[in-house]
Amino acid sequence: MSYLTIVTGLLGLISVFVFFYLLKFKASTKQTQRNDRIKWSKYIPYKNETPVVDSEKESDDAKFKDN
Amino acid sequence: MSKHHALDRFGRSGNPVIRSAAFQERVSGNEERMSLEGAVNKTGILLFLTVIAAAVSWNYQGPLMTLVSSLGMFVAFVSGIMTFGFYFFFVGWLVEPRPHNAPRTAPVYAIGMGFFIGLISQQAESLYPGIVIQAVSLTFFVAASLLLAYKTGVIKPNQNFLLMVFSATMGIFLTYLANLIYFAVTGNNFFVLTDNGTMGIVISLFIIGIAALNLVLDFDIIEQADEQGAPKYMEWFGAMALVATLIWLYIEILRLLMKLRGR
Repeated sequence: MSYLTIVTGLLGLISVFVFFYLLKFKASTKQTQRNDRIKWSKYIPYKNETPVVDSEKESDDAKFKDN
Repeated sequence: MSKHHALDRFGRSGNPVIRSAAFQERVSGNEERMSLEGAVNKTGILLFLTVIAAAVSWNYQGPLMTLVSSLGMFVAFVSGIMTFGFYFFFVGWLVEPRPHNAPRTAPVYAIGMGFFIGLISQQAESLYPGIVIQAVSLTFFVAASLLLAYKTGVIKPNQNFLLMVFSATMGIFLTYLANLIYFAVTGNNFFVLTDNGTMGIVISLFIIGIAALNLVLDFDIIEQADEQGAPKYMEWFGAMALVATLIWLYIEILRLLMKLRGR
């Protein structure tokens, strides 16, 4: 095994650890607090497939008298 | 008029804040939300599955393993379409994205692609010893560098960035598809894809650049889905997108190194 392979192998190992370490952190506010972010929910439908409707909950709508 | 009739007749509030997508994206109180740590764990699991499958296909060479590897790639392709969907120029979504499929399709994708990259890696290693370690190392070096650039805000993906990267990726995909058809008909590949001269190397570097920029989009998907409290299956979706891009990046880097070693 050549020295180049050993050196690049070590670099790769360090890169793997750095990659998984950094992935756990939230991005800086410089990244997250800007107006021109991509709205991914427009392209990837990751809202609830079956909206939960709680009929027991009191409605926020105005209460009309039943006729 | 009863309250339900009023609702049916006049509809929900016209207030744009209340109608915004943010309210639609919230997970209900009973459902688990995704987390960054969860996405990282899923990424680790998928990469582990890929490596195991690659190790199997590397060590057990033969016609059967070649068939398994080809089948693996086909199954991975179908899993990818079932999750990410399929968008085509001028036509639109031929298959809509279905992120809720990701918990089932992601492991299948990882294993299928693992068999395929094990096969090509073993062939590359037999021609140029040490090339696989170099390709893997460079892949993670590029990924870590871009992740650092994204997290610190050096690279800020916006709509124009998305359009540019998506268009370039579709262009590369169409070129590969055309090459496949050309190969099926003539038995030859496009010169620019296989040439190990300056043109071929420049093309390879361009493709690697586009694959790397796709990583930035994957990081942004995971970040934003976590911020918005997306459902748990988005951890698998984000991890699958990340692993798919890493695999593509690895294959392109391997191809470039083979061109450089073959000069």
